[in-house]
Amino acid sequence: MLCKDVEQIIEQQGFSPLSEDARGHVASCASCSTLIADFERIVAAANEFPSEVEPPSRVWVALRAQLEAEKIIREPEVAAPSASAPWWQGFGQMIRGRMLATAAVALLVIAAGYFQINRQPRVGEAPTVVAEPFAQTGATLDQEELDLGPMQNASLSSGSTADNSLRENLATLNAFIKECRKRLQENPHDQLARDYLSAAYQQKAEILAAMMERGRSVN
Amino acid sequence: MTLSPATRTKTAVVFFPVLGACLLLMPVASFAAGQKIEKHFAVKGRPVVMIQNVANGRIEVKSWKNPEVVVSASQPSNKIGLDVEQADDRIDVTANILDPSAQEADLSENIQLTVPEETELQIKSQSGLIYVEQVRGDMTLESVAGEIHLKEVSGYIIVKTTGGSLICTLCGGKLKFDSVSGSAQVLQPALTNVTLYTSFGNILFDGDFIRTGIYSMKSGRGLVEVRFASTDNFDLNAQTTSGVVDNRAEAFLKPDSHGMRHTASKYAKGLFGTVGNGLAKVELSSFSGTIRILKRD
Repeated sequence: MLCKDVEQIIEQQGFSPLSEDARGHVASCASCSTLIADFERIVAAANEFPSEVEPPSRVWVALRAQLEAEKIIREPEVAAPSASAPWWQGFGQMIRGRMLATAAVALLVIAAGYFQINRQPRVGEAPTVVAEPFAQTGATLDQEELDLGPMQNASLSSGSTADNSLRENLATLNAFIKECRKRLQENPHDQLARDYLSAAYQQKAEILAAMMERGRSVN
Repeated sequence: MTLSPATRTKTAVVFFPVLGACLLLMPVASFAAGQKIEKHFAVKGRPVVMIQNVANGRIEVKSWKNPEVVVSASQPSNKIGLDVEQADDRIDVTANILDPSAQEADLSENIQLTVPEETELQIKSQSGLIYVEQVRGDMTLESVAGEIHLKEVSGYIIVKTTGGSLICTLCGGKLKFDSVSGSAQVLQPALTNVTLYTSFGNILFDGDFIRTGIYSMKSGRGLVEVRFASTDNFDLNAQTTSGVVDNRAEAFLKPDSHGMRHTASKYAKGLFGTVGNGLAKVELSSFSGTIRILKRD
């Protein structure tokens, strides 16, 4: 076997495990044994690289916001009572007889009155909370903003127009997000407010990414 | 890691020809700072020019009929370096900050480009005006705080800013604008597809709606104003959550003539109707700003 045969075997099959003939040649050939040793060192060095780099969470946030904006994915529907089929309609169908219905309503009124009079509010009881759209997105972005704090402070001293613009727009966006969230808390089905909130979160993610990039390139 | 002479020889056999080919294809010019430079690049077809200006300063792109790209740049200090390279019909221009501790005033790089009339552009800048005139081709223009002025350009135009505003005069093709606080003015356009979004800026569209065109203009808190001609044909859908719809074109706006019944969401104020035969589609929206519709004089 010649050196070029060994190279061909390595090229076609990799160098582990080598055939008996090839191993015999490598053992007696200084050039091939050095070549094999070099390859082993290259592979060992390559194995030291991280196999996968986790992208920053803002990438996922921006992606999610974009997909939601394009209605490719949707947030779970808010847990608000359905206007189309209220619970009492089903109940009404159950008690069709006029007498029975009158008696049932009277009983309900009495029961409700008794309940209201005797009900003691529990200490620390929280009001019913309606699921907020993009809540997870918002929390992740807020965390990213907190993490970015030291970098923002470092770039404050630069007084650069771009840095100032990014900071001012981030602050205004936060105020706008608050406004949209308030609107959605009042009217959870307001699609227009939802669209603006989604767009604002997406822009916030992009601003944070730009600040991070500038922090890396300038500081 | 050290490699044996044998491996180095084998690697060199592959590496140097590739490197040589790269060097032939990509003449790189790196310029010392503090000087005015001008570089000419011959191109064959429709070139792609990319500019990345991490410094401040103005970027100006104009066209000519020659198959050649000319890059001129001036920089007042030695705190900035400029790299220009060509790979066939792609030309990359990159301005880098050499001294991160430099003052804002020293980080300025003005770049002028002269390109063939049909050229694709990708420009990314921090602050400072981006000005493009008489260029046909797709372009992506990004700026943090700089203004973007386009005159007589056409293609698929994407503009993205944080605080910078856009003025687009006599533009054609498709336009997409996205900004946080920048405003957009689209004047005398010949655009068939327009998507304008700004959270806090104003939007002004003053021009004709092309038949079968689709126009979407949205502002979170700003004013969205559309000035149309009496000869225009479009279906209008305007909605605002807590803002105002200021309809100054009642005489021209008729109920939708295409049989579609529009009703605003119960959470929004809306205005729907048709101007002329309603051939184009116009969607306007604002969260808390004003939407104004009026006919041009």
